[in-house]
Amino acid sequence: MNDSALRDQVHPTRFRDLAVTVDFHCNSACTFCIVQEGMNNYRGVPFERFAAIADENLRSHKYDRVIFTGGEVTLEESLFQFVTYARNSGGFRHVRLQTNGRKLADPAFTRRLVDAGIDEFFVSIHGDTAELHDQITQRPGSFDELVRGLENLSAHPVRRMTNTVVHRTNVKAFEGIVEVAQSHGVIEMEFWNYLPMEDHDDEANLIAPLTNGLPSLLGALDRCAEFGIRSVTKYVPQCMLGAHGDTLDNSQPDTIIVETFWDEFPRFACLYEAECEHSEECLGLSHDYVRKFGWEETTLTPVPRTRPWTPRDVGVQGRPDESPAETAQAPGGHPAWEALLEGLPGDAGRMIRVQLSRNEARFSLEFGEGASLDLVLASRDEDAPALLRTTSFNVFYSQVNGSYEPPHLERLLREVCDRIEARDDGSLSLDSRKGLVQLKRERNERPQVV
Amino acid sequence: MSEAATQSVVARPLVPTTEEDRYFDYCLQPYDPVRDPRGKLRSECLLWNSLDVVGAPPSLDAALRSVQATAGRDMTVFGIKHHAGRLWWELYFYDRLKEDSAVQADSIIESVSPWFSFAAQPRETVPYFMFSFDLFPDTAEGGEVDVVNLYLPYYEVQGGRSYKLSAAGLEMDNVYRFLHPKTEVREMLHEIHQSVFVDFSRVSLSQVLLPELIDCNRVCVAKKRFADAIYYSGIDVGQLLYFFRKFEYPEAIQSFVMEHRSEFEHLRFDVGIDYSMRPDGSVEMVKSGYYGTI
Ligand SMILES: C[S@@+](CC[C@H](N)C(=O)[O-])C[C@H]1O[C@@H](n2cnc3c(N)ncnc32)[C@H](O)[C@@H]1O
Repeated sequence: MNDSALRDQVHPTRFRDLAVTVDFHCNSACTFCIVQEGMNNYRGVPFERFAAIADENLRSHKYDRVIFTGGEVTLEESLFQFVTYARNSGGFRHVRLQTNGRKLADPAFTRRLVDAGIDEFFVSIHGDTAELHDQITQRPGSFDELVRGLENLSAHPVRRMTNTVVHRTNVKAFEGIVEVAQSHGVIEMEFWNYLPMEDHDDEANLIAPLTNGLPSLLGALDRCAEFGIRSVTKYVPQCMLGAHGDTLDNSQPDTIIVETFWDEFPRFACLYEAECEHSEECLGLSHDYVRKFGWEETTLTPVPRTRPWTPRDVGVQGRPDESPAETAQAPGGHPAWEALLEGLPGDAGRMIRVQLSRNEARFSLEFGEGASLDLVLASRDEDAPALLRTTSFNVFYSQVNGSYEPPHLERLLREVCDRIEARDDGSLSLDSRKGLVQLKRERNERPQVV
Repeated sequence: MSEAATQSVVARPLVPTTEEDRYFDYCLQPYDPVRDPRGKLRSECLLWNSLDVVGAPPSLDAALRSVQATAGRDMTVFGIKHHAGRLWWELYFYDRLKEDSAVQADSIIESVSPWFSFAAQPRETVPYFMFSFDLFPDTAEGGEVDVVNLYLPYYEVQGGRSYKLSAAGLEMDNVYRFLHPKTEVREMLHEIHQSVFVDFSRVSLSQVLLPELIDCNRVCVAKKRFADAIYYSGIDVGQLLYFFRKFEYPEAIQSFVMEHRSEFEHLRFDVGIDYSMRPDGSVEMVKSGYYGTI
């Protein structure tokens, strides 16, 4: 799966963030890590590529925030080059660091990061005690380091935020984690449901079943509300969040990372997508979840829709650094046929699509204030009625809908007929048997594939 | 796989798209290609690849070419069927509106007569909108097709029932219904749950209704004589590759599609799975198939 396919599945409205993966080393070994395997073979984004995107952003103002992540990027000296460039470019309002927080235990290092321009620290905390957190990161002492890091940050005018990966090992700890965060000045807490990235069969037994993980997550969200901590949840079915449904935010930053990352990124589905009011924001359940625990068809409770449902767009999306020319509308599925009507003046009408069926090419056209018609090309036939006969086709129209002024319809038909007449040089055909020769009726001949 | 087959996998030229290609699903309903099809491959490449993988004799190629020339390009739906490492094919012909006599059974039967014969031929006054028959690797070596399947529509509801026609006569075979996997989810779940083969107090729905395939244009729920089946239509090449892995298609089929993945990205595919339940409560995948047009 590629980035665009993923984006079809996430909240469509918030892509003001850009995430940049600087490198893929780490000093922890979180049991659930999304880039565990990637750690050995992914490469970070070259500085020049980032610099080009930052420069472009200065013009486009596409992104408000840049997020540096990895790996554990505090281990990488080049991080400072990225942060300094991001800050000096003036194009980003916020420069965020995603970190396990361990290096922040060193106050001088923390000061260096702040001085370089980081104003948001997004620190992973997965347990409420050193014992649990260190068991998850598989690094003794990591909890104490991150807590010291949060303390060190209190000396600076920066936003302290946390992230907790919701998985089977820590389902009892969420409320405790909120307590720890609150006592260290955290203003925003995120809870990301575990994404099975490399272990699609969940051999490590990390996916938390809804009925087990959700009640304690709700308790933690209650605590956040009490403390005035803003909370965000990701990859959790919205209908399971009860009064905290508005914490769900599945938006993803535009992410510059090796393309293959998205091949493994989990996909989601919900049986009730078309019925549920929340399906634009909610992803439902990961396929891996469904394989292991089922569709939860009796647990999930869709909220009846008040608006019509449309399937997710499966269009091709751009990359963060693509040029405007690349973004220009991609051709449709029948380019040679679409070309017959190319250059139709916008005020005459607009082609929506072409569809080829057994014996006709059907162009759906819109014109005027919401009127539409189908322009149909069939194989040329002197005996059939037609608006126009060209070298290969009979042209006629049908399915006129909506209200319009007759001259407007006439104009559209004139424009399309002129084009088809001029452009039909006989090379396009609707004859499905064209060029297919009936073989000599002999067995055992292997014909050449044409 | 025979040595000859291995050689032909290399030797056979691929069939590129043309500007006049039409794109149909397995019900011969047109769809819009997912991407610009220029420079990509036609779905018939899947069929030729499967012939090579099986090591089918050239006579089968020739018979299929003859069918294509008779019915017209893109007018024949093929299914590549798979069970326990064995592959065979089914060809489907649609002429809902009786527009084209060349795709009626008698003309198709005539077109393959140099290679194989039919034990029974349908009466054209039967109001079928589609007929199909199976082909095996050696059918075109002078074999006989002993069963022709006839499909009759419902009134307004999308779906139908099928009958087997053989020398012994006609026999009811299965019923099926097309549904949108999202907007008709309640109907779909109802149809799936109405099973005499699978006990859903023991089997999770997710074992038969696969999350990886549910993002599709339409599902078809079929009730057959010895199994239930679900078809997913309009899936993309990534989902097709998942399907191959899940149902353990021959490596040579998987690697062919993997290697040409980007040249199949403009297409939509259809797949179907017949399933039942074993006495121990595990789900048995009886057979599966994937579809395209030639
Ligand atoms: C890959 S980490 C890199 C940053 C840093 N090393 C850290 O631990 O926070 C980026 C973010 O992804 C989260 N994360 C890691 N693996 C995850 C998974 N399998 N599912 C959901 N979130 C995950 C982490 O908690 C962290 O907030």
